[in-house]
Amino acid sequence: MATVVIGVAAFRDRLAAMSLPRLVVTPQLMGRPVGAPNDKTRQREILLAALDLLENAQAGKTIVDLT
Amino acid sequence: MQTKKRNKEDRTRMTTSPESPVSESLAEFKNSFAYGTRTDLNFKFLKNLPDADAAQFFQDLLHKLGDTLDDGDLTRVADHVFAWQAKAYAGAGNWRYPDGPFTPLHKPLAAAKVALLTSSGHFVAGDDPEPFGIKGMTQTEAMARIDDFLKEEPVLSVIPRDTPAAQLRVRHGGYDIRSAQADPNVAFPLAHLRDFAQEGRLGELAANAYSFVGACAQTPLLKRTGPQWVKRLQAEAIDAVVLVPV
Repeated sequence: MATVVIGVAAFRDRLAAMSLPRLVVTPQLMGRPVGAPNDKTRQREILLAALDLLENAQAGKTIVDLT
Repeated sequence: MQTKKRNKEDRTRMTTSPESPVSESLAEFKNSFAYGTRTDLNFKFLKNLPDADAAQFFQDLLHKLGDTLDDGDLTRVADHVFAWQAKAYAGAGNWRYPDGPFTPLHKPLAAAKVALLTSSGHFVAGDDPEPFGIKGMTQTEAMARIDDFLKEEPVLSVIPRDTPAAQLRVRHGGYDIRSAQADPNVAFPLAHLRDFAQEGRLGELAANAYSFVGACAQTPLLKRTGPQWVKRLQAEAIDAVVLVPV
C-alpha cells in the first residue's frame, strides 16, 4: 500500500527522521494538521497536496513542505 | 524604610496572593501547563523549553499582544505560538530510521481505493472504545490518565465512511481536542475524502476509516498492533492510506 503522512511543522524534524515514504508538512498549530477549524479551502489544499504525493512521488523520503 | 536585597532564586520565584503564599519557580510555572496545575495541551510544549526560552516566549507573547490590542490582528499571536511549538519539538526525536520502504501507487488515484487512518482519537458515537473499561470517559479524565494510556496498546476505532460529523466523537489525552471537536476535519478529514471520491479524484473511499489514540505504548504499536492493522487494510484491498498523526 502506498502511504502519505500529513503532519504539523512542529514535528517536521521527527517525521523526517522516520524516512517516511511521503510526507506533507503543514503550517498548522499542533492538533490541527489538516488545517484550522472550518477552513475548508485550506483543508482541501492540504489534502490535495497529500493525494498528489500519493500519485506522483517517485521515491521514498519525499517531503512537501507547505510552510 | 528597610529594603530586603533579593537573591537570584527570589527573582525567579513568583509569589501568589497573600491568601496563597506558596511561591512558584519559573520552571514550575511553565511545566504546570503539561499535565500540571494549569494543564493546557496547546502549551504543553513549554515543558520542553529551557527556562530562559520559556521566559522569552512569554515576553514576546505579551509584546505581540500589545500590538494586537491596537490592531486586532491575532495572526502574529498564532505565528508566535507556531514558531515556539516548532522550537520546542525541534530535533529528530527517538524514532530514527536511515531508510524506509516505498510502495508506488500502481494505478491512477482516480482508480485507487483510499483509506484514512489517524491517531486523533476519533470514534463513532455509541462505539466508545471505553479505555480501561470506563464508560463515557471524559477528556479531562483522559488527560489525568495519560500515563496509563502511554502504557496501553491502542484500540482501533472503525468509522464507516458515511459517518456524519455530528456522529463523530473525539477523546485524546495528548492534545487539545477543541479544534477536533469543533471540526473533525482538522485531524480526521473523512468528509473531504468523501467529497474527493464523489468528485472522481479517488477511485473509491474505503468502506471504513480508522482512528486511535496515538498516546499509547509505542513499541507494541510498532511491533504488534500496527502490523495487525496493516493486514486488515491489505485484506480490504486498500491501495493507499492517508495517515494523520496528531
